[in-house]
Amino acid sequence: MDPRMCRKISSSESLPDADNVEYEVSNIIAPQESEENFLIEGSPEPNSVTWLDDDQIDELDLNLDQTNLFFHRVDSADIIYRSKKKKCKMVGKYVMGDVLGEGSYGKVKEMLDSESLCRRAVKILKKRKLRRIPNGEQNVQREIQLLRILRHKNVIELVDVMYNDEKQKMYLVMEFCVGVLQDMLESSPGKKFPQRQAHDYFTQLLDGLEYLHGQGVVHKDIKPGNLLLTLDQTLKITDFGVAEELNMFSPEDTCYTGQGSPAFQPPEIANGAEQFSGIKVDIWSSGVTLYNMTTGRYPFEGDNVYRLLEAIGRGEPAPPPASLGPTLGALLTHMLKRDPDLRPTVQQIRRHAWVQAQPPLEAGERLVSPRSRRSDELHNSTVIPYLVERHYASAQEYFTERDLRHELGDGGSRTLSTAELSDAESSRRKHRWHSSCGRLPSCRLT
Amino acid sequence: MFNPDINDYQLTSIITECCGGVAVVYSALYKPSNQNVAIKRYFVDKTRENANLIQQDILTRKALQHPNILPYLTSFVHGRELYVVSPLMTFGSCRDILDRYYHEGLPELACAIVLRDVLLALQYLHKQLYIHRSVRASHVLVGANGSVRLSGLRSAASMMVRGRRQKQLHNLPPPDHDNVNLVWLSPELLEQNLKGYDERSDVYSVGVLCCELANGAVPFAELPTTLMFTEKQRGARPQLLDCTTFPEPCLHDGDMKSIYNTDSGVGDSEAPRARQLYGARKFSDTFHHLSDLALQRDPEKRPTASQLLNHSFFKQIRKTDYLPGLISRIKPIKPDPNDMSAMLLQQKLSEMDIEKTTEWDF
Repeated sequence: MDPRMCRKISSSESLPDADNVEYEVSNIIAPQESEENFLIEGSPEPNSVTWLDDDQIDELDLNLDQTNLFFHRVDSADIIYRSKKKKCKMVGKYVMGDVLGEGSYGKVKEMLDSESLCRRAVKILKKRKLRRIPNGEQNVQREIQLLRILRHKNVIELVDVMYNDEKQKMYLVMEFCVGVLQDMLESSPGKKFPQRQAHDYFTQLLDGLEYLHGQGVVHKDIKPGNLLLTLDQTLKITDFGVAEELNMFSPEDTCYTGQGSPAFQPPEIANGAEQFSGIKVDIWSSGVTLYNMTTGRYPFEGDNVYRLLEAIGRGEPAPPPASLGPTLGALLTHMLKRDPDLRPTVQQIRRHAWVQAQPPLEAGERLVSPRSRRSDELHNSTVIPYLVERHYASAQEYFTERDLRHELGDGGSRTLSTAELSDAESSRRKHRWHSSCGRLPSCRLT
Repeated sequence: MFNPDINDYQLTSIITECCGGVAVVYSALYKPSNQNVAIKRYFVDKTRENANLIQQDILTRKALQHPNILPYLTSFVHGRELYVVSPLMTFGSCRDILDRYYHEGLPELACAIVLRDVLLALQYLHKQLYIHRSVRASHVLVGANGSVRLSGLRSAASMMVRGRRQKQLHNLPPPDHDNVNLVWLSPELLEQNLKGYDERSDVYSVGVLCCELANGAVPFAELPTTLMFTEKQRGARPQLLDCTTFPEPCLHDGDMKSIYNTDSGVGDSEAPRARQLYGARKFSDTFHHLSDLALQRDPEKRPTASQLLNHSFFKQIRKTDYLPGLISRIKPIKPDPNDMSAMLLQQKLSEMDIEKTTEWDF
């Protein structure tokens, strides 16, 4: 198949007139699209989306270059620039936004459900990368299986799963969250939360854990890095990659494998026990999480994973600092008992005095807010610029230097820097917004 | 008091199917007192998700009491269905009235009365720390004596969360089956950022309702959902269509014409007629001002429901104004006690498709 068949070339892009052949220079000058920003003319029907491989795209560019094999002399004024813009790409009914984070398996991006307008996050898993991670594919399968059944306000919801066989990608569409507790801790003074805030998160963690354990699911990797926050500060337990569903007919909660993060592992796993109580693993890890959220430290530390596991396996946890107060200290000590049988259950923790009473915000303490993303404290939708491109900016995507100078009111003939170009472009866009809006008879710009 | 027993009710006719086929609304006669009521019958089994919403709806309505909010009378389970009894609102919803009798919109004074009553309901709701989140003509019902009542509390949200009063909410209302409800929602609600939204989001919806009642057509309704979203984010404000706002027909491009038709919400054949009607009428400046105030992009600048009630637009209402008299084209839903078809229909209901003729959501 001719790769060009895969890409719908928009009318303005193809520039069909013979006179315009030189202007295809724009393909060289225009910023090269990364794979993610590569335009596939957006259309809400999932079937109309055509996927291109990196190789195909390269081939496509080569083909285009061949038309420029001999040089034309081109006056700089004749060069047509193409604005660097957010190209609207759709996967199924979802409009893609910016990257929110990156993991070993692939990227997490923001998306917008074009039908319900609900913000979503999507975990994009590349098969190629997944194969390189030990147990990668199995863990993903397990995660999908578990998340499909689980439904609780403190457990991340898996909204949709999509596959693209051609690209060997899998899309896990999840609830949108604004931050990870881990990131918030790292950006906060002393790398800890005020007790009031830690209390809020911890009680929600207990709600989620109680539900999971009631459903016979052991998470086995509870840690601040796996606790997300939504816009309304609801905590969501995420990453069920190493979670385990207990045998429904067995009265025990025996587990045999532990793959969680070392610093949050209990002594029985650190010591390599062949079997252990799954539920008490989660209790331990939640204890370490609470310890970490309130002190900014870990009950066990080590220079490397081996030292760390050795410390967990052999030693007693560093006693909770006295500054935490006796109630929280007692709770932490109880949760971090070396003997799993001595650790409390979720119900017992719930009845603990520290959990029962919400601690006050001490003088001088400030609540830590989710870390702003690219200096956007409000965590605005990153999809809007793509939508704007899709709905408004298609008419004038090409412009010349002369247009720009005119726009900037600059009579000189010097060449503009890229930054100036993009600034000018943004002011152009603003201008266009006004003009296009004025044309809507029933709409007015505020 | 109404008995929670199916045998005390005689279903008289089907009013409408709603909630995407999950429920049917009947008119019925409450035999002990010979009163007409409306019964909404839910097929709870059809969707598991909706059961929570129905429960929420009932609980919210039980907790609320206001002359402009559709009361809850009783509810009961019979067979596999849930029946919820409410007073019969004889003239149906404002959406029905627009669709059947007033394509081009209601007269200004009628709009004023309806909007005032909706604002009174919202003023009360907001005081009770609820945000309605689906203010729209199909949720504004008109009773026999001209009483106006707000329904649709299914998507209402309380600002009390886990015993604490929230300053703002962040979540979208529960999705309706075809996501039409989004058209009435405020830009800040749709935006879903950390700033969230509060009860002023309802005021924006009132602004959209202003245009819906006055123009007959729903603003943004014909736009793709994502375009409606960006239009709102950019602060595009729908307007009341009259000779001051409706543009001359001599437009320069075809592009324009399509927007035009879109916004008038009528088909090509009817466009010239609607254009004439819009071009010939004139709404008062205060009406334009009111809708403009309510539709401001920045919620901080938007007035509250109470502040809007003091707007001079409502000064035109006299005590003697009678809503059904102002919109004399409307006819009541006539329950016919001799019509047995409803009873028969009830038997066959599970097999047959009911044509969706009106929108009457409780």
